[in-house]
Amino acid sequence: MKILELKNVNKIYNSTEVKVHAVNDVTMDFEEAEFAAIVGPSGSGKTTLLNMIGGLDMPTSGEITICGTNLSKLKSSQLIDFRLKNIGFVFQSYNLIPVLTAKENVEFIMTLQQWPEKKRNERTIELLTAVGLGDRINSRPAKMSGGQQQRVAVARALASRPKFVLADEPTANLDSKSATTLLEIMEKLNHESKITFIFSTHDPRVVKMAHRVITLEDGKVVTDVKLE
Amino acid sequence: MIGSIAWKNVWRNKKRSLVVIVAVTLGIIAGVLLIGIMEGWTKQRLHNAIYNEVSHIQIHNNEYIKNEEINLTVSNPDETIHSIDSLKEISGWVKRTKLIAMANTPWANTGVIIYGVDAEKEKRITEIYREIVPEGGRYLDNQSPGDILISDKTAEILKLKQYMVTDSTIESLKREKVPGSVIAKLETLKDTRFRSPKDFREALRQKFNKKTLDRYGLLMTDKALDYRIRNKVQITCSDKEGNPVQGIFRVCGIYKTTNTGFDQVAVFVNDKELAKLYGGNEILTHEIAILLDDIDDAGMVREKLSRISGDNSVRTWKELAPDAALLNDFMILYYFIFIGIIMLALAFGIINTMLMAILERTKELGMLMAIGMNRKRIFTMIMLETIFLTMAGAVVGIFSGWAISAALGKTGIHFSGWGEGFEAIGFAARVYPVVTLEFFVFTAIMVIATAIISSIWPARKALKLNPVEALRTE
Repeated sequence: MKILELKNVNKIYNSTEVKVHAVNDVTMDFEEAEFAAIVGPSGSGKTTLLNMIGGLDMPTSGEITICGTNLSKLKSSQLIDFRLKNIGFVFQSYNLIPVLTAKENVEFIMTLQQWPEKKRNERTIELLTAVGLGDRINSRPAKMSGGQQQRVAVARALASRPKFVLADEPTANLDSKSATTLLEIMEKLNHESKITFIFSTHDPRVVKMAHRVITLEDGKVVTDVKLE
Repeated sequence: MIGSIAWKNVWRNKKRSLVVIVAVTLGIIAGVLLIGIMEGWTKQRLHNAIYNEVSHIQIHNNEYIKNEEINLTVSNPDETIHSIDSLKEISGWVKRTKLIAMANTPWANTGVIIYGVDAEKEKRITEIYREIVPEGGRYLDNQSPGDILISDKTAEILKLKQYMVTDSTIESLKREKVPGSVIAKLETLKDTRFRSPKDFREALRQKFNKKTLDRYGLLMTDKALDYRIRNKVQITCSDKEGNPVQGIFRVCGIYKTTNTGFDQVAVFVNDKELAKLYGGNEILTHEIAILLDDIDDAGMVREKLSRISGDNSVRTWKELAPDAALLNDFMILYYFIFIGIIMLALAFGIINTMLMAILERTKELGMLMAIGMNRKRIFTMIMLETIFLTMAGAVVGIFSGWAISAALGKTGIHFSGWGEGFEAIGFAARVYPVVTLEFFVFTAIMVIATAIISSIWPARKALKLNPVEALRTE
């Protein structure tokens, strides 16, 4: 089942001197439970494309449709609500709320969606256990390693059972061991929960584990390979 | 959860938040104390004006208020008093004779207003009897008709406030643990009579250095004070025909209110004794002073009395003591000015702190927007942070201010250096701060309003962030 469709998506940045075609006529779609990596050199448009898929940025032209909803048709407030319910985010520098514990960080998304407390608790414990942090639920981010923080971020991204998770260079700040652990956890969760993961990455370890690799160059899709 | 995050965010940068909280606390303590002192002064001035000087309402002959002549007495005093008695708002009244006179002693003279009163009735209306200074004799009584009650200021002018170092002075200074060397020097002034505070201070200055005077000068002056109680004072005034007449009275007591202007002129004698002086069979009534149960009824009672008291002039305390009335009316304006200035300063501090906090957390705010925290929640979070930050200081400030005011309300603050100046304009040298519940509620509302208003700019600034750009910041 298609959960995400991009049709002739363009993003052009108009600066005073030059026009930058960051994403150039991209058309593709993603199925449920995909584990896809968007790769390409710096400046190839990976992050811009990810931002548009996540509804953080709007295409100059073209359409992005998530489960039948055209993002450009949504008002700003509707878009925020749509992101909350349908998209999970994992950032390169973890971006946890430093004043909250691991448990509270994961719970936060569900609180925003006004889940009942019991359901929130169960889901939080389930996710933190799944990412191997069942014993660190009351730790604050400052007391955790980078790898552990990123695992909390993954748990947070999955908390509200989104349609897909967007991960922008999730392993860029991690050492090799932490990166491998994180990727294995994400792959396992992808397999178990059937939630689609879309990464932008330079990391060959991510590419190696991905089931589909999309290569961008100068904003264009040059290859889109599905691996078995 | 937004509230919990906001509270935790307040403590992210403990030092900065504590600086703001301490500033808010100190600002509010300063505000509470300033207003407490102003309110205390106003209340003391008002109390002094009403219970020592003018009462709530006074009735005089219309012409008397323009020209204070002996024959311009209250018209139809019996009917007027009958009318007064018929009003339920009135708690008491007293008739007085009031003459302009000259007071003489062998050493000085001064112009005074002499009040002829019934001592017992007067006690029900004025509190002068409570203002007798220590070692200053007693209030008038109806059994000693030849007595005169004068003020500390009048005693000073008439040189009845004298100073003499006696054995008793030395003994009391020893009890106060004044060093032997100081006492030994003071003993050289023993049994010399100084007829004014100035002369005694000058003598002390010649004997002691500044440090000793700063430490013991006031105590020595206090212990050497010797009011000439039972001394004769000659009063000269006009009789009913306008001829000068003289009488001798003996000082029975010395009073001191917080208004030197009043003290300087007001002396009190028995009304029957005064009548003997100006001649005639009846006691003249120049003034009827009235006390009410409720000060707020003054205007209404004045209207009622004006309608029934013919040629007489009926005036309320507001007309009789306009300075006290002005002070009372403007108190609310003082509140707004003082608290307004303090709140303005607080608002700038709070806005600055919150803008810095937002600048530091740009990336985090970008993340919150990205993951789906809507504008309303972000606005609420920043607003709550600002309110928590302000209220943390406000709660400490209000309670500390209350505790300090309550303590000072019992002991009072003595402005010893400026006491004479304050008393010259009718304010007490020792002020007892008064802070009412209404003021605390008002201050709390003002602080909350300041916090809310101060939070709007930082919160709007946060809302204007673009999540993509915010996430890119380092």
